[in-house]
This record gives sequence, structure tokens and C-alpha cells, in this order.
Amino acid sequence: MDKFILNVVHRPELMPEYINADAQAGKAEEFGGKKVVGESLDIFRLQQDIAHANGIKCTIQMTYASLYSDEAIQLAKDYHKQYGDEIGHTFLGVQCDRFRATYGSRELAMWLFPWDLKVRLVHDSFERFKEAFGFYPTSTGSYFLDAELINYIKEKYPGVKIAVAACFEEGPKVFRHTNNTWYTLLDGGPWTAWVPSKACSHAIAENAADDAGIVAVPHLSRDLLGVMDNPGDMFGTHPQNIIRGLAYEDDRLPFMYNLVDQYQVMKRYNKGFSYNLVYVGPGWMGKAGRWECPYRILKKSYEDFLAYYGQLKREGKVTVMTMTEFADWYRANKAVNEPICALWKDTIFGTKNQCFWYADSRFRVQIDLKLGGAITDIRPYASKLKRPCGAGTPANQDASYPFIVHARYRGGPFTHYAGEGAIKSAKVRFHGEEVDLSACRSTGRYEEGDGYRKLIVRPVTVEFRGLEVRIETSYTFRENTGTIDIARKIVGLTDPTAKVEIDEFITACWGTREYPEDLTGCTLAVIHDDGTRHAIDYAYRCREHSAEAVAAVEAVIPMVHTRIRMTPQTGPCKGYYEEGYSFAPNLKIGLCRELGLNEELVTTFSIERAA
Amino acid sequence: MAQGRTGKINYRCPQCLFRTIDYDLLYDRDADQYYCRRCNWEGDEMAILALYRVYKQQYPDMLKRWTVVEILAKDEEPGTTGNTPNPRPS
Repeated sequence: MDKFILNVVHRPELMPEYINADAQAGKAEEFGGKKVVGESLDIFRLQQDIAHANGIKCTIQMTYASLYSDEAIQLAKDYHKQYGDEIGHTFLGVQCDRFRATYGSRELAMWLFPWDLKVRLVHDSFERFKEAFGFYPTSTGSYFLDAELINYIKEKYPGVKIAVAACFEEGPKVFRHTNNTWYTLLDGGPWTAWVPSKACSHAIAENAADDAGIVAVPHLSRDLLGVMDNPGDMFGTHPQNIIRGLAYEDDRLPFMYNLVDQYQVMKRYNKGFSYNLVYVGPGWMGKAGRWECPYRILKKSYEDFLAYYGQLKREGKVTVMTMTEFADWYRANKAVNEPICALWKDTIFGTKNQCFWYADSRFRVQIDLKLGGAITDIRPYASKLKRPCGAGTPANQDASYPFIVHARYRGGPFTHYAGEGAIKSAKVRFHGEEVDLSACRSTGRYEEGDGYRKLIVRPVTVEFRGLEVRIETSYTFRENTGTIDIARKIVGLTDPTAKVEIDEFITACWGTREYPEDLTGCTLAVIHDDGTRHAIDYAYRCREHSAEAVAAVEAVIPMVHTRIRMTPQTGPCKGYYEEGYSFAPNLKIGLCRELGLNEELVTTFSIERAA
Repeated sequence: MAQGRTGKINYRCPQCLFRTIDYDLLYDRDADQYYCRRCNWEGDEMAILALYRVYKQQYPDMLKRWTVVEILAKDEEPGTTGNTPNPRPS
């Protein structure tokens, strides 16, 4: 397969958040004013014209407000007739006079509505859509759609095939970026197209029985390295977002082309397939400019961006589809639980930094190569956590899928003098010295085969007093099994007779944000080779236990219904757990073994649902 | 003192930008000065633009084009490997 697919989405939003700020504040005299509506539709027309001039077919997502605008409806019909654009639907852009009169709310985020208003809006807008166009939409979307709402939509409107269902890594970092006011707390989902689980839309479906019935796509295609320590809203296939991050000079934004090219490279890690979504709301192209950036540059950046896709299309390097066409293609060519993979390189910060992302139906894992290939983010999809969001739910605004490791929200390799941060890494010991491999920068290579994807971390050199050790790490992801085989091999020793100890460990926790969550009720266990267990219930008492030649070590985090286990595969290992304490609110399990030259420690790290 | 207003150009506070917070500045016409309502930054337009230039230094490759071929070639590079600091590429 050699397929790079592009979806371009435009919406005739009649009150973009960024144009009509006064109306957002509730000033009725400004609300949906003719000037605002006129400018919004002008921007929509401009976006459409730019796309069509470059031979790009679009998906028009009709907003609630635009479904009551004769002009917007006629425009959509005309574009469909002339260019074959799909007329789809979105839950963005609900605000207008009619909405306020009908729903009595200034809420703009449909996924945060109380359930009764969600389903009312589904019916109102889908029925109004049919009234306007004579058919029901087959594509829809929002910044986020939880599984409960997707299931409801599928039950009532089974023709829906695809939805913009999340905004990749819009979470605490974006919230902070927006002065703690933009409530898209949606961390933890896939970065490219996936089939969502019926239980939780972030998670990739297990199988046909778990298939929610749609293909989900993220709101934008983002830079997978840029989002790790930065708000994603500066690093995506959205030229004005790049401008927001000030990664431009005058009207030059080469990074936007780098992003597209890197997504073409993603075909190498995804069996020949890659995908881009471009979805720029009209508010980003207002005549008044956006922050420091004048309209001229906002407009030119979009023209240049779509012109590049147009060039790729002419060269046969990208296939432009509507959203529903893409859903049909995905269903015909990809499995329900298709793993997704990315070995991503820096093209903006001037480093050799790389990261690796992997996701399937059992977990999403992020590996930071500059941390020696440490795992820095784990989302346990195997748990298929039911997390409905919106008013009246326990999660309310916090729609993120919880992590059990997050090296940036929870310390990672660096803490201030005490405790340990959340990370999955290994330590190397020799004669009383200890080095964490996360101190060893590296890069990666990718391999794949039948039922597995593999990241090989290039060997790093650990320097002890009197000894240098070269160690190679590899991660073999057994697709949709919830297991990773992690190998640490000694490939060089300045003293070939020396032995070093490898400590393969995970320091875990749970949560969706920076602050610690209660770990009371977690369990830690060392499982001996005769099957007996030495286990404790977590109580912040800093207890530890270790034993020789263990069968496995494990921890259960019941708050996220997750069991993690490490099992030795090559020779006997000492196993241990460490409980942690309130100033170090993590739990740790590990396996240790002494290795000589050309010996390796292979452990299987598994994640499964705990009842 | 005069009421702060959005200036002709809607600048964001450069000091807040450095900690990745978008926060609009207000303009004090009497003092011919921009100021932030979140942090303690204040200054004129030249100071804003100077700090924006500093902000952009986090992107050494901001104007560099990385093509498909060049990005693929990174798969073959040995990269940096060691627990000692490596010099930042120029």
C-alpha cells in the first residue's frame, strides 16, 4: 500500500468564537449581527475557493446556526453540485439567536452539555439537516464525542460513518496555554484515524463486537514531538496555529510543509498508509487579523498550505477524499483494531530528538528517544474505561483518557531532590554506581513483521569509573495483546569479564493532569516461582519487598481498572516492589539481573483490564 | 490613570508567552505603554517585538525546510548516544 489521504473540512460558522467576542460575552445587540455573519460566510467562501483552486474536494460541516441560514444552505448545495464536496454536519458552531432561544444556554461545547440537551441537539440538528438537504449526514464531529454519544448517534442515525471525535493532546497543556479557560481537556487519544471502542471513544476498538460503528479522526494532524512538552495548538496542520506559536517569519512558514512531509513519512511505519486532516475554523482567517498577525498573512498561509497539497495531488502523492469517502476507504482497507505507529523526528527545534508512538486496542505508549528510549506516557486502553463527560457526569470537563505513566505531568526522570517521577526505564549498576538509561540520548530504528512492531533504540554508552558499557534496547509490541517485550542487551564492555546489573522498572501512578491522585487501594505484589505472592495494599508507608528468581511482579491500579505486570523471559531475575509515600506518590515494580557481554535481559511488560 | 484598551495590534504578553500562556496585552494611551494584567510585564512595542524575537530562538529550524527524503534519512543517522552531554547542533 502507498496511500497518503487528505481530508479538508470547512464549516460555515456564523459566529466564530474569535470574531464575535462581544457576542460571546452575551451582548445581544452584537449577537449574530449581520456584519459578523457576512464576514463569516465570506471567510467560508474564501476557504472553499482556495481549496477548489487547488483541486481539493472538501467536506462542508454544517453547524446548527448555518442550518438555519438559507444562504449557507444554498452555498453548501452549490459546492456539492459543482465540486462534489460532501455536505456533512458538526456540533461546533451551535451558538445563534435560535439556539439561545431554544436551549437557553451560552454553552458552546456540545460534548459538555447535560445528556438531555445532547440528545435533543442531535435530534434537532440531524432532523433540520434532513429538512434542509433531503438526507441525513454521514459525517459529523465536535472537538470531542464520548462513546455514549457516538453510540446514541449510531443507534438513532445509523448512516453516520465518520466523525471528528477528538482533538489530539488538547489537554492540560492547551488549557494552561489559554489562561486556563479553554475546556478541551481531551488528552490520551490516537493521533490519526481509528475505529473507537463502544466503551470509550479514545480507545481503539478490540474487535467487531466492540466497534462503535464509525471511523474517528482527530481534529487536526499534529507534530508528535512538538505536542509532548508544548500545547498542541501551536503545532498542527493548521497554518494559523503555527503562526500562533510564532514559528514563522514574515509570510514564511516552512514548518507547515515539514509537517505534511513528515506525515508522508508515516507511511513507512503504518504499512503504507498515512492521513492528514486540515480543519481551520473561519475565526482564524478574520479580516481583523489574529493576535499580532495581519489578515494578509493569515490568508496567504492558508493559500500556500493548500497549494502544497494541490501540488502533491498533481504529483500523485496525496489522495484527496471527503470524510465519508475516507471512512469507506478505511473500512475496506484497515482492521477494526488497526495498530498505529510513528517514529517522529524534530523538524523545528533544531535537535536530533525523536519520539516513538504506538497505539492499538490495549494501550497507547509514547517513547522518548532522548531519554534513552524510556516510556514517558502510557494510556491503558485495555481497561476500556467508561468515562462519559459533560454536565452531570463525574468527569464533567475532564474528558481525557487517564494515564498510568506521564513523565511530564508526574516528574519523569527528574525530581526535586526527593522521590521518583513516573516513567518506564532501566537503571544500570556497577560497583555502587548507578545510571538511569534516561540520561542517555539516542535515536531509533523501526522494524515490523507479522503481528508485531519493533522499535530498536540505538546503543548508548554508560560511563562508570573504570568501565564503559554499551547497551542496546528494543521494544517489540505484540499487536493487540497488551504486551511489550523489552530487551536490554550488553553489546559492549571495556572489560569483557565485567558484569553489570540491569534494573528494569516502572514507576507508575494514575491521573489525567499534574496533581497527584489517591493511590490508596492499589496493590503491589512480587509473585514467586511457586505461585505464592507477597502483596500489600498501598498506604503511602514506603514499604519494599524483593525476592530472588521471581515469576513476575505486578501492580493493580483499581481506579483505572488496570493491572500491569513484568515477567522475566531470559533467566532468573530478582523482583521487587516499592510502595512510595506521600511526597513520592507513585508505585514501583522492577526486575533485576546481572549481565555480561552479549547477554540480555528480556522482560514482558503487560497491561490488562483489572476487574 | 487611563483605561487600558486593546492596541491597534492585539499583542500577547511576551513574558506570558515564555511560559506558554496566551494573554492579551492592554494599551495605556497616556503612558504609551502596553501592560499585562496577569504578570508584571509592561513595555512599548519595540520591547514586545524584541522579546518575540527571543521567543523564536526556541525554533532554530523555523525557516528550514525538511523534505520527505531528508526526514527519511534521519532514520539512518546514528544520532547521539551516551550519558554525557552532547553539543547542540549549530
